[in-house]
Amino acid sequence: MTLLGKTVYHASRLGLAAVFIYAGVVKANDIVVFAGQIANYQILPYSWNYLVASILPYLELLCGILLLLNMRVRPAVLVLFVLNIIFMFALSSAIIRGFDIDCGCFKPDSANPTSPLAALWRDAGLLLLMIVTWFLRDLKHPVEAD
Amino acid sequence: MNSLSLSPSLRRILFEAIILCALSAAVGLSLNFKLIFNAFSGKSVSTLVIAAGVVAETTAVNSVAADAFPVPVELDELDDLLSAGALLIDSRNSVDYQTNHLAGAISLPLGELDQDLENFKKEVSIDQTLVIYCSGYGCPDSFDLGARLISEGYTDVLIYEGGFPEWRDAGRPLAGGGK
Repeated sequence: MTLLGKTVYHASRLGLAAVFIYAGVVKANDIVVFAGQIANYQILPYSWNYLVASILPYLELLCGILLLLNMRVRPAVLVLFVLNIIFMFALSSAIIRGFDIDCGCFKPDSANPTSPLAALWRDAGLLLLMIVTWFLRDLKHPVEAD
Repeated sequence: MNSLSLSPSLRRILFEAIILCALSAAVGLSLNFKLIFNAFSGKSVSTLVIAAGVVAETTAVNSVAADAFPVPVELDELDDLLSAGALLIDSRNSVDYQTNHLAGAISLPLGELDQDLENFKKEVSIDQTLVIYCSGYGCPDSFDLGARLISEGYTDVLIYEGGFPEWRDAGRPLAGGGK
């Protein structure tokens, strides 16, 4: 792989790691508030908001740490890719239903909430980084050496 | 083999991704077991807040049973409750209430409870169904007020956890105005 390819790979990997470690830590710090943010989407039954809120932050954190350590990169990217697709469906659903809610992506900030539309664009960017990381990792390890 | 079979490397990636999910689930469930148990058993999650001592003094003074917590209800259940005569109570501060509140709700701010409680008890009978809300999930005021009212003898106290934001976002009627 060229120097440019390596640079892009590590930059996108570390960028994703930073985003998801931060998101995981912030959400794990207050599970009840995060459950409330999920509930604002009005997709899951009452109890399931707490179940999802109890697991999701640790999944983001674990995948972020693996990306940071450059270990099991493609499994971590695959998990985050699927999560991101689910997030984008949820955000689209909130936009279609006209909900004016904080996206619940990171720390709740009632003064400067992130709208679902802004979050959707950000998730699209993250999706792009995941695709770049996946394929550049593939070039670096053609047989799979995660 | 059939056409759906994955290459060994993809199969391994998929397997490791599943392991990551399982590991995260194990960590999340073990760290938040009590929260999830309470949510699925119908107990308020904010019993944790109460158990942590927010209203412990009140319940101790009034010798209320330790498991006498307000019960959470969802938005869908509210319609039946309200048409059956449940009283909607806004536990947020008076300014928020005057700006906007759920149509039909009365104001009983947690912060002003000591001065408002006597009047409230005169006007609202002890067996009245009460549905209390505040500023949505993570807001403890509705639970704290619910626990206080239970300790004062009210027997049917429910909490609408989605609160003002969920009601507003669902396009339900709002009202502004005095107490």
